[in-house]
Amino acid sequence: MMSLKRVLLVSLLAMTMHAEFALAAPSDADMKTMLVTIDDRQQNNGDYKSLVYIEQKEKDKSDLVYQAVVYRRDITDKLVILFLKPQAEAGKGYLRVDNNLFMYDPAVGKWERRTERERIGGTGSQRSDFDQSRLAEEYTPSYTAEEVLGKYTVHHLELTAKRGVDVAYPSVQLWIDTATNNVLKRQDYALSGKLMRTTFYPEWQKKYSASKKAEVYFPKEIRIYDEVEKGKNTTVVMQEVDLNSLDDSIFTKAWLESKSR
Amino acid sequence: MNLGDQLRMLVVLAFRSLWAHQVKSAIIGFILVGGTFLVVLFGALLSSIEGSMSRSITSSMSGHYQVYDANAEDELALFPGFSFGSVDIGEIPDFAKVEKSLLQVDNVRAVVPMGITIGTVFGANEIDHVLESLRNAVRDGRSDDVKVLGERVRVIAQSIYGDMEARAAISSDPEKVARQRDALNLVLSEKFWDDFETDPLTALDFLDANVAPLAADGRLLYLRMIGTDPQQFKKEFEGFYLVDGEMIPEGQRGLLLSKRTYEKLIKNLCARDFDDVYHDVKLGTKLSEDTLLQEKVRRISRQYQRILFQLTPEDSAEVATKLREFRKTQNVPETEPDDIAAMVQWLLLVNDENIDENYKFFYDVIAPKMNLYEVPVGQEVILRGFTQSGYIKSVKVKVWGTYEFSGLESSDLAGAANVMDLVTWRELYGRMSDDQKAELDSIRETVGVQDVSREDAEAALFGGGGELEVAAVPDAPVFDEFAGANLKRGEEEAALNSFDPATLHQGLALNAAIILKDPSGEAKALTDLKAQIEKDQLGLQVVDWQKASGIVGGFLMTMRGVLYIAIFVIFLVALVIINNLMVMATLERTPEIGTMRAIGAQRWFVMGMFILEMLVLGLVSGVIGSIAAAAVVLWLGSTGIPAPADIAVIFFGGDRLYPVISAMDVIFGIGLIVFVSVLSTLYPAFVAARVAPVVAMQGKE
Repeated sequence: MMSLKRVLLVSLLAMTMHAEFALAAPSDADMKTMLVTIDDRQQNNGDYKSLVYIEQKEKDKSDLVYQAVVYRRDITDKLVILFLKPQAEAGKGYLRVDNNLFMYDPAVGKWERRTERERIGGTGSQRSDFDQSRLAEEYTPSYTAEEVLGKYTVHHLELTAKRGVDVAYPSVQLWIDTATNNVLKRQDYALSGKLMRTTFYPEWQKKYSASKKAEVYFPKEIRIYDEVEKGKNTTVVMQEVDLNSLDDSIFTKAWLESKSR
Repeated sequence: MNLGDQLRMLVVLAFRSLWAHQVKSAIIGFILVGGTFLVVLFGALLSSIEGSMSRSITSSMSGHYQVYDANAEDELALFPGFSFGSVDIGEIPDFAKVEKSLLQVDNVRAVVPMGITIGTVFGANEIDHVLESLRNAVRDGRSDDVKVLGERVRVIAQSIYGDMEARAAISSDPEKVARQRDALNLVLSEKFWDDFETDPLTALDFLDANVAPLAADGRLLYLRMIGTDPQQFKKEFEGFYLVDGEMIPEGQRGLLLSKRTYEKLIKNLCARDFDDVYHDVKLGTKLSEDTLLQEKVRRISRQYQRILFQLTPEDSAEVATKLREFRKTQNVPETEPDDIAAMVQWLLLVNDENIDENYKFFYDVIAPKMNLYEVPVGQEVILRGFTQSGYIKSVKVKVWGTYEFSGLESSDLAGAANVMDLVTWRELYGRMSDDQKAELDSIRETVGVQDVSREDAEAALFGGGGELEVAAVPDAPVFDEFAGANLKRGEEEAALNSFDPATLHQGLALNAAIILKDPSGEAKALTDLKAQIEKDQLGLQVVDWQKASGIVGGFLMTMRGVLYIAIFVIFLVALVIINNLMVMATLERTPEIGTMRAIGAQRWFVMGMFILEMLVLGLVSGVIGSIAAAAVVLWLGSTGIPAPADIAVIFFGGDRLYPVISAMDVIFGIGLIVFVSVLSTLYPAFVAARVAPVVAMQGKE
C-alpha cells in the first residue's frame, strides 16, 4: 500500500507543478516528480478492470479487431489480458506474473513464455500499454525543451532505461501537457537509436477509487503508430473501467484456462 | 571427266592435301577433337543432370506441371531459396472444380492439391516441458507422475543452482542474483514440496515465474508446411517414402516431418552436434588435426546440461553407475571426479581414440532415457502461424512420422518441406470467412473509431484544444465483461481430429501438381492443359517442374546458359583459328590451285576440295572427340560425381551423379563440329576459288 506520506507528497507536488515548470526548465528532481505523479495517478491501490477495444490497421491487410478484458493488481504487479471477441480469438490470454509474460491459447491448451516486446494479439500494442505506468521506476529523465503539440504546451522529456530494468524500449521521448501533467505523446526508440513507434494519448479519464481514496487516471484512447512498418497503426479504446476489488484467483494460470474450458 | 570421276578426284585430293599438310591438319584436328570432347562431355553431363533432376523433382513435390492463380503477385517456388519470406501466389478457392476440369485432359493422371505456409514451433526449454507435464499431472490427479516430475524439477533446480556462482560473477545486479538464489533455495527445500501437496497451483505458478526463466531460453523453430492430401501425395510421388512412424491415416489430421528437418533442427542440440562430429570423423577427418571440430567437441561437452535435465533421478543414478564402469574400461584414473555431470562432460569430450566407444555408449545407455527430439514422432505439436487474416493461429497436430524423398535425402532444400493434411493447413493459413468478417464489422461498429493517419495524427488529436481530462461517470454500474462473449471452445472443434477425406479436395488450395500418365507426351499435355484452363475459365497458369521448383530451376537455367555461352566461345575461337590457318594454307597453295585451274578445274571444284578436306577432318576429329568424351562419361558413370553442395544434391538427384551418354549427345557433338569446320572453311575456299590461273602461275596472288 502506498504510504499516506507519499500520497500527500505527490498530491502537493502535483498541485504546485504547473506553476513551477512554467517558470524555468524543470530540475532533475522536478522531472522525477513528474514521472512519479504520472505513475501514481494511474496506479490504483486496489484492483483495476477494464474492457478494451483493440483495432489494428495495416496497409494491404485485413484489420485486426479484438475486444478484451484487462485485470490489474498493481500492488503485486499482476496483469491479465483475456480476449473476449471475436469468437475465434475468445479465450486467448496473457498473464503477467513478476517479470514473466505468459500467453495461453485455448485452441491448443498450452502456455508459452513471451517477451516484453510481445505484440499483444499480433497488434502494435504491448503489455506495457495495458499495465500500470512504471516510468519513474524504469527510466531516468532528462529535459529536452518546452514545446507545442497541437494547441497544448508540453514538456519534452527524454527517458533512458535504468540499468538492469527489463523494458521493451531502452530510450523513450515523452511529451507531457504542462497544464494537466498528462502524457500526450510518447516515442519509443530501440537501442540502435531507431524510432520504433509513436503513441498518442488524446484523452485521459479519471475515476474515483475507494481503495486509493483518490482518482485513478487512465487513457481513454491510445493511438499507436508503427514507425518501422509504415501504414500500420493500432488503436486501443478503454470502453469501461471498474476499480472494485477482484478475486485473487483471476491472476493465475488455472483461472485463465478455466474460462475457455 | 564425268561428275563421278570429278567427285572421286575431289576425295583423293582432299586426303592427299590433309596428308601433305600434316602439321596444319594436326593443329586443326586437335582443336576440333578438343571442341567435340567438351561439347559431348558437357552436353552429356547436362542431359544427365536434367534427367536426374526431372526424376527427383517430378517424383517428389512438383509433378510434371504445377498450376496456380494466373494473377499471382509472386512466382510459385516449391523450393524456398535462401529466404523464408512469404510469397503471394494467389489462391485456388474451389479446388474440386479445378480437379474435375483438368482430369478431363487425356494425359492427366492426377491433380494433387497443395498449399505452402510457414508454421512456427516454440521449442520450450527443458524445465518448461517438465512444468507443463507437472501441471497436467496435477490437473488430472496423477499422483505418481506428480512425484516423478517433482523430482525432475528438483534435479533441474539443483543444476541451475550449480551455475549461480558463475552467474553472480558476471551479473551487474547482485540483488537480482540473490533473489534468484533465494527462489532456488526455496524450491530445493522440503517445505516447498510439502506446500506443493496442499496448494500445487500456487507452487506451479511460482516455479513458472521464478525458476523456469533461469534456464536457457527455448528456440523458435520455423517449419515450411506443405498442406496436401497425404494419401494422394504418397501415391502419386514415387520419390516419397516413410522413414519413422507411420503414414497419416486417411481422414485424420496429421503432420509428417521431413527426416532432414527432424535430424537437423528438431533433435536435441547436444545429440545433433555429437552426430555431426561422429560423421565427420567417420568420413576421415582427424579430430586431432581439425581445430574447428575440436571446438565443436568442447561446445558439446559444455552443453551437458541439455542431457542431464532430461534424466529422472533414477535414470541419472543408473547412467552414473554405468558410466563409472565404462570409464574403468577406458582407463580413466579413479581420481577423476565421478559425479554424473563430470562424467557426462568427459563422455562428450571425445578424441580420435575414444569417439567410437563413447558415441556408442551415448546412444546405447543415455539416449533411450532422453527425449531426443523436441517434437517426437507419435506426439502432438503446437504449430503457430500468422494467418492471412492477420490473427495468430495455433493448431495442435500429431506428428505421425518422418519421410524422405528418394535421392534427395541429404538435401536441405528438399528436406525443408514438411507434409500435413490440407484441413489443418487451411486453419494455419487462416483465410477469414464472410461470417468472421461480419463479426469484426459488428464489433467495430460498437466502438466507432475514426481512422487517423500518422501524418495527420497531431493535428487531428491535439488541434482542437478541448479538455484533455474527463471525469468518468460516477457510480456507473459495474460492467459485465462476459456479457455477449462466448469463451468456451465448442465440442465440434475438439471433434475435428478426423474429417471426411473428400474435404481435402473441396475448398481452398494454393497450387496443384499435375501428374501425367505418359511423361513423354509433355508438350501436348501442356497445350491441352492450357486449352482446358481457357475453356473452363479456371484463371490458372501452368508452369513446368523446372519453373515451379524456384531457385533450383533458376540454377539449372543458369547452368544451361553458361554451357551454351561456353560452347559458343569455344567454337568462335576455333572458327577464327581454323579460318586463319586455312587462309594461310590457301595462300601457300596458290600455285597448286592456279595449276589446277589452268588445266581445267572449275571454281566449284576448288571450293569443293577445300570444304571436303575440312569435312573429312571435322568428321574424323568429331568421332575421336566423341569417343574420348564417351570414355570419360562411362568412367564417371561407374564411379559417380559427388555432389559438392546442397543444391547439387537436387541437381544430381542424389549424393552422386552417375552420368550417361546418349546417341543424341554424340550426334549433336559431331554435327556441331562438322558444321563449324565447314563454316570456318567457307571464306578460305572462296578465296581459293577466286585465284586466277595466270596470276597463280606467275607466283603471285
